[in-house]
Amino acid sequence: MKKDELDMLVICKKCHTLHQKIEIHKDTKALCSYCNTVIYRYTSHLSRNTLALSFTTLILLIVTFLFDIMTININGVYKSLNLESLFIVVFGQGYYLVGIMLLFLIVIFPVAILISLILLLTLMHHKKSGYTVKRLLILIAKFHHWSMVDIFFISILVSMVKLFAYAQIELGVSFFSFILLLILDIIVIKKISFNELWILYESIYLKDNKK
Amino acid sequence: MNNEKKHKLIRCPICEAVNIDTEGAIQCRRCEENIYPKKNISYNQTIAFLITAIILYFPANLYPILITKQLGVIHESTILGGIMLLWQGGSYPVAIIILVASVFVPLLKFIFIIYLLISTKYNIKSSHMDKHKLFYITEAIGSWSMIDVFVVTILSVLIHFTAVKIIPGSGATAFALMVFFTMLSAHAFDTRLLKK
Ligand SMILES: [Zn+2]
Ligand SMILES: [Zn+2]
Repeated sequence: MKKDELDMLVICKKCHTLHQKIEIHKDTKALCSYCNTVIYRYTSHLSRNTLALSFTTLILLIVTFLFDIMTININGVYKSLNLESLFIVVFGQGYYLVGIMLLFLIVIFPVAILISLILLLTLMHHKKSGYTVKRLLILIAKFHHWSMVDIFFISILVSMVKLFAYAQIELGVSFFSFILLLILDIIVIKKISFNELWILYESIYLKDNKK
Repeated sequence: MNNEKKHKLIRCPICEAVNIDTEGAIQCRRCEENIYPKKNISYNQTIAFLITAIILYFPANLYPILITKQLGVIHESTILGGIMLLWQGGSYPVAIIILVASVFVPLLKFIFIIYLLISTKYNIKSSHMDKHKLFYITEAIGSWSMIDVFVVTILSVLIHFTAVKIIPGSGATAFALMVFFTMLSAHAFDTRLLKK
């Protein structure tokens, strides 16, 4: 089987059914005939749109980290939840393991993924350093499962329910930026179309050695 | 829809390219990553991580996940204790979310991985596609179990006064480790082992 023949095939990520690729229109997607999962897309302005979205997501992430997510008031005493107070308390109490996991799952992985995306799309735009682009694409594919910003937000909601009985809760700026962040996270990170990015990569960097 | 019979074809988990399965270790033709190690290595890794996770499941549920210190009085609560408290307080939806995320999801993941491991050795009557779907679900639900660990951490940040304090218990650490090892176990599983 030649390379080109393999390129015309696609395997569903969910049920692993093999499909022959067919041509689809711009901004449409092909679904698996067996389980209806999206198997590939054709996005117009893929790199430009993804770049803009990941940049916005990164800014929202930074905003969310800078301000208070919520403040509770128990009999006139206030306590705020933000990234700083989170890590000060967790590490201060000696819960290093939970602290380190938290640091990676909600800060390092999401930030690293977004910066990698921005960097690789910028490099692709200027058709520069193919090797770095390739390493970044692999890095994102390996770590995008480990970003748990969404789970952290659900945990915030659950905590609020637990606190309602004892305290007055005031929502902070970060709570609202978190909601926007989640929406973008679902659009950008959870739906990264790796196949399309790789095809773009091949079309930019491997033009000369294609047989 | 084609048959995979002529050449065994597999999907690269990194770049999604279709590759020819050579049975041994495989390097992807597009991203050039070593995408599959030898089959027996991945099988043993899955089992090792799974056993570690199952062992951790016990301290995670038996040790307190949350400790309340109120005016010198210490009250410890386990995951199940916390769920019961929520249920009694009338927060049924949240109680159910935590029950599913912390108790059922890990158990389901153990059962799914054990089932998939068994189905690589014996022919179980269920379609190849359903097994792949089961694996996909197993990977997707993994992170949900972290909810309780995050909640305890958030509570410990907010309820941090001189008179009353909430601190994470040792159960939280065990729980976080358990989730981590279950995820590693699922990641190590080689889907090529699934029989048709
Ligand atoms: Zn499918
Ligand atoms: Zn690949």
